[in-house]
Amino acid sequence: MAIENTDRHGESFFTRILPYLSLTAFFLIWQLLVDFDVIPRQLLATPIDVIKLFIRKLTDESPDGALLLAHTWISVKEAFLGYILALTVGIPFGLMMGWFRIFRGLTQPIFEIIRPIPPVALIPLAIFWFGIGLSSKVFIIWISGVIPCVINSYVGVKMTNPTLINMAKTYGATSWGIFFKICIPSSLPMVFGALQIALAYSWISLVAAELVAANAGLGFLITMGRRLIMPDMVLLGMAMVALTGAILGFVISKVEKRLLAGIRR
Amino acid sequence: MVLQSKSVSVKNPGPSKLAAYIKRFLHYLPVILTHDVTLFVMSIAFFFSAWELLASFGLMRIPKITNVFKYLWVLMFDPLAGRTLIGHIAASLNRVVWGFLIAVIVGIPLGLAMAMNRYVDKIVGPIFNLFKPMPPIAWISISILWFGIGETSKIFVILTGTLIPCIINAYNGVRLVDPQLYDVVRMLGGNKRDEIFLVQIPGSLPSIFAGVQLALSMAWTCVVAAELIAARTGMGFIIIMGMNLTRPEMIFGGIVVIGFVGWLLAAVLNLMERWLCPWKREI
Repeated sequence: MAIENTDRHGESFFTRILPYLSLTAFFLIWQLLVDFDVIPRQLLATPIDVIKLFIRKLTDESPDGALLLAHTWISVKEAFLGYILALTVGIPFGLMMGWFRIFRGLTQPIFEIIRPIPPVALIPLAIFWFGIGLSSKVFIIWISGVIPCVINSYVGVKMTNPTLINMAKTYGATSWGIFFKICIPSSLPMVFGALQIALAYSWISLVAAELVAANAGLGFLITMGRRLIMPDMVLLGMAMVALTGAILGFVISKVEKRLLAGIRR
Repeated sequence: MVLQSKSVSVKNPGPSKLAAYIKRFLHYLPVILTHDVTLFVMSIAFFFSAWELLASFGLMRIPKITNVFKYLWVLMFDPLAGRTLIGHIAASLNRVVWGFLIAVIVGIPLGLAMAMNRYVDKIVGPIFNLFKPMPPIAWISISILWFGIGETSKIFVILTGTLIPCIINAYNGVRLVDPQLYDVVRMLGGNKRDEIFLVQIPGSLPSIFAGVQLALSMAWTCVVAAELIAARTGMGFIIIMGMNLTRPEMIFGGIVVIGFVGWLLAAVLNLMERWLCPWKREI
């Protein structure tokens, strides 16, 4: 879904530097708006303030009790645990739902009951059951990651070429044989597509869960910034959330490409 | 021979007929058991009985289903924090509608403009890409800092969540229009305006609609999240109150209603899509 510049014709010098000009203007206007007190300082920090706080938080634990990297590490750890659990449960579940009729008949109604609930709405329930520690976050991330995994693997199996299945049946393959030898390999591109979607969903839910209740993590950093009325800390937390999410997304997209290269000969 | 068999059937007509029925029934039993309707009923029955069993054993602190619906029924008439259930749903929906409408009115034209004009793309694109990876929920805190905990802060959060899919899908919709259609319009003597109104906008409408659907489900998630963190009304407020008061039937009731309303919103948009762009034929 990334926006790419596909303009090929007539790239003048001006249009080539325009994106950089635009970004510079954006940050400059932001800086000046705060510097000249158009927007009061307790509402918005300047970009320079945020960078200063970033450098300070690398070595200083002071306002919220942990280093920036410690917060990031906690968030990443929670996200990764929930994400891996979602993949290991969701993908086999979706694959089985796609192929075995009886399994689908038994599980699909329950899945359809749970699916329309936004995972964010389950945060109070998770806190109610598991407290505010690691396990409640892992539960929330698992729920939000597992749904796209199931849907994608289900659709992947459903899109298997019926000619191949019929051919296998003609040659006397068993149901399990068709499932393992034909359905799973042909659904893999769809399944790998779920990796990215599940990550994006998990990351959103994680931030929400940490905002509602946590004692560490990037969401907690943002909440502390709001409580202490330190807009620079809120912005730093938001920037770190975006940056970490983008890095994780980048890593997963590389993994996905590597996996896809293995099956598309 | 004939007489004998007749006498047997007259003397004892029940068992043999019954046996035949039973035999037939046993023969069809696997078919009946694995029929889609049976499976559906079994699945739903399993879900609710498992819930009820867990609830009656007191495991996991799950409320009984009857209690959940009883609570929702009470909430229909007995206000919580000054509003009945309908009032809370209306409060959440009101925020969703405002944020969503602003996002559609701003986002879709912006996405279209970015796709149609190089300069707009070059100016807005980088700033947009800067904000794109940020989860909309991360905006909640700064929104509270800026606008307090009233309606404005929720609408702002919803706006941040819904603008992104609107812009991206409008942009990609125009980009992915079949190039042959442009040739057709030009060959038939159309000018730039015809290209925009006859090709680019109708051609991108299915994609825009997909974006609008995404935006609406995102808006629903955002409003629940925003209400969880700070609110006096709304569905998110009900479940967070349930958590604070340790009343599981309140949490579950809220979740059930949130899921149902979310499903309803998606269903309404699906119908609208079929009505608005019938030329979309996908899968």
